Amino acid sequence: MNSKAYILVLISLVLILGAGFAVGDKNVPEATMLWGGKAFAAPAPGNDGTKLRTLDDIADKRVGVYSGTVHDAFVAENYPQAKIFRYDSTADMILALKSNKIDVAMLDYTSAKVILKNPSNNDIGILTDDALTLPLGIGFNKNNPALREKFNNFLREIKSDGTYEEMYNRWFENDPEKAVMPEIVNKGTGQKIILGVAVADLPYVAYVNGEYVGFDIEMVKRFAAHEELPLEIITMEFSSLVAALSSGKVDMIADGIAITEERSKQIDFSDSYVDFKTAVLALKKNIASYEDEQAGAAVTIPFLQNIADRFHNNLIHEKRYLLIVDGLKVTAIISLVSVVFGTLLGALICFMRMSKNKILVNISRFYISIMRGTPVLVLLMIIFYVVFASVNVNPVIAAIIAFGANFAAYVSEMFRTSIESVDKGQKEAGIAAGFTRVQTFIYIIMPQALRHVLPVYKGEFISLVKMTSVVGYIAVQDLTKASDIIRSRTYDAFFPLIMVAVLYFLLSWSLALVLDYIGFRTDPKRKRRTRLQQV
Amino acid sequence: MSVFRIEHLSKSFGELTVLKDITTTIEKGEIISIIGPSGTGKSTLLRCLNLLEMPSGGRIFFNDLDLLARTTNITKIRQRIGMVFQSFNLYNHLSVLDNLTLGPVKLLRKSKAEAELKAMELLKLVGLAEKAASFPDELSGGQKQRVAIARCLAMEPEVILFDEPTSALDPTMTSEVLAVIRRLAKEGMTMVIVTHEMEIARNISTRVFYMDEGFIYEEGTPQQIFENPQREKTREFINRVRRYTYRITSKDYDLYAMNAEIEAFCEKHLLSRRICHNVLLLAEEVLGLQRDFSDITLSLAYSEKDDRLEFIFESAGEPANPLEEGEREDDLGIILIKSRCDSIQYKYENGKNILLCGVKG
Repeated sequence: MNSKAYILVLISLVLILGAGFAVGDKNVPEATMLWGGKAFAAPAPGNDGTKLRTLDDIADKRVGVYSGTVHDAFVAENYPQAKIFRYDSTADMILALKSNKIDVAMLDYTSAKVILKNPSNNDIGILTDDALTLPLGIGFNKNNPALREKFNNFLREIKSDGTYEEMYNRWFENDPEKAVMPEIVNKGTGQKIILGVAVADLPYVAYVNGEYVGFDIEMVKRFAAHEELPLEIITMEFSSLVAALSSGKVDMIADGIAITEERSKQIDFSDSYVDFKTAVLALKKNIASYEDEQAGAAVTIPFLQNIADRFHNNLIHEKRYLLIVDGLKVTAIISLVSVVFGTLLGALICFMRMSKNKILVNISRFYISIMRGTPVLVLLMIIFYVVFASVNVNPVIAAIIAFGANFAAYVSEMFRTSIESVDKGQKEAGIAAGFTRVQTFIYIIMPQALRHVLPVYKGEFISLVKMTSVVGYIAVQDLTKASDIIRSRTYDAFFPLIMVAVLYFLLSWSLALVLDYIGFRTDPKRKRRTRLQQV
Repeated sequence: MSVFRIEHLSKSFGELTVLKDITTTIEKGEIISIIGPSGTGKSTLLRCLNLLEMPSGGRIFFNDLDLLARTTNITKIRQRIGMVFQSFNLYNHLSVLDNLTLGPVKLLRKSKAEAELKAMELLKLVGLAEKAASFPDELSGGQKQRVAIARCLAMEPEVILFDEPTSALDPTMTSEVLAVIRRLAKEGMTMVIVTHEMEIARNISTRVFYMDEGFIYEEGTPQQIFENPQREKTREFINRVRRYTYRITSKDYDLYAMNAEIEAFCEKHLLSRRICHNVLLLAEEVLGLQRDFSDITLSLAYSEKDDRLEFIFESAGEPANPLEEGEREDDLGIILIKSRCDSIQYKYENGKNILLCGVKG
């Protein structure tokens, strides 16, 4: 116990020191914000004396794009020499830019404006703001033209009655950070519609004070209210949006989605509701037009003040701790229920594997080899997008099934080896004494097998807890996804990531303690003293 | 009413037949020792009695109840038949006391307190009351086996089957266990004991089964079996005879290989250099006198009990004693042979000339 406490203290120390470094770095004007550190940075474009002047200068550079967006295809087509780095969140892309992992970042202009307004991003500038212009639309399932038709009618209606203009001013013209979502009353009597979003960032979709906000959100909420349909919003990776829609997981998708030919093959789009401009961002020091601004940009903020600010910004501001708490709950629920489900299923598989029936043995062997040979993330997506394609299933349940099924394969083999490691004579002694086969297993074999299996079982349990961090792929907001969302708002990698790491550690550690306690309880020699006194 | 009645019992594992047509009865209060060379089905016979092995044929009755009948609840019956194993098989996860109470509590539905009281009594009987709280891995082999016997007794069985109870023990521990078995014998417990320990068979048991070739080859009281065995193999076993056989089917046999094997046999049984030398010489000389090499069997039989080595030479063909004098010009070979033996017998049986020589030590 004591040694574990020491380890905790040590880890906290390392974390604090890490924070210090990160902050220290930030005060040096041209340093990168985080771990990137100057020593590791690849040669930036500025180093060879040529600064970025026009869009064509990115031709041989490292370009960051949002994965699955039109920018991806655009860069690949127009600048085949450029190296493309794909990101799943704006925050990751901006962090990469700041730490010199990429030279430029391409993203939608309005989002870029929001990013540049954030004081922590004042080392970033705009190279160009009209790289690519595309219409944006709301996505609908091809099998549901009626809903799309209703939406198009609604869009025409709000454009004509001035609502659209009001919304446009709120989210695009004025500062979207300061925008306040109007109250939208939805009587919600009809059939529920599900909207899929990626929470890319303002002005389209963001998550503020525990609520979804943004232009797209307001528009879809108004639409739902107009049609009196209850609305549910679920979050997933941007790159999974189209797949989720075409497999029927969601009814609509929105998040600044550009209408492209390729996407139109998979899904239907509404009429365009706004045009989307592309900005190309780079560090100011690498952009020719920012040369004069260089000096004196940095302001020194006291160390403690900085820590406090960032803590406030990442946790307190906009009630972001709620995200973490909810995420932790989801992670804990998925882990625990999967373990229970997986253990029961594993026991069943183990029983089949050890039975004398050839068919059962082969089924279980096939199951085990399939589960062990498939990445759990792929399994997770297959279960959600393929197996339950036409069934409306809560993604948390899909996650529990996927992780439980995977866990079962591993623990069934653990159970089998531990049962087989119990000496054959034990079973014979039980049978000869007049126990039935089941009684022999319960009273004699199982208690001994359990002692063997506990240590490995504990390891597998902990690895399951950590494995659940991929559930974000099927639109579950777990602990990891919560940190992604916070990062997308604060552009700070340090606090959310470290905090989540610590939470995962604490979660696995406390679960391991519970198992240790069970191991202690089942140690037969523990009882010796108390038993002696009684007899 | 007999405790066990066995009728035409047979058992085979695939192609291998282990037990053939065994018929016998075991009465209440009898103590049966089953002895015999390894691999002759002693343990299999014992394990058939509580159906740990399913017989391939025949019938077994326990108190006139057909064990193999469909309606028989074998688990219930096993509760009345105790079994002690060569490898003890104590429940490793339970203390000595719990080893004794698990069966009575779970199977006989006794209360925990009652079972523990009885268990302590039994542990006193086997002299291990102070080990009640110990775990099996903290006991010596002899202690484990005594606990195992006490565990059997806790179920109040009508008969106890012992499967080589002392084979895994050194001599001191063996005598601990023998003392307990002797005590049970005195109390009239019916027991069937598979053993290599002649001491049990001779002094404890009321009847001895000598098993060989998959059936009960000879049975009788210990006196009969040990002092006056009727049949050849029983005799050999009782006298602890070790055998070595070499077959020759042509004149071009491998003399050196044969000699090497004879030497190895002598070495294995710690025979003196002198005896070894004599046997080698005997073999060479007898073969030297031989003319027909089509079917010769040469055997050595060493009785541990009498410390005596016999040389047996069998050859097919017309009756002809190779040692008959006067047939050859040179009788040096015969003289040499005679000088190495303290007894020589010749007989002709089943178309074979048999020469039996006691080798001089």
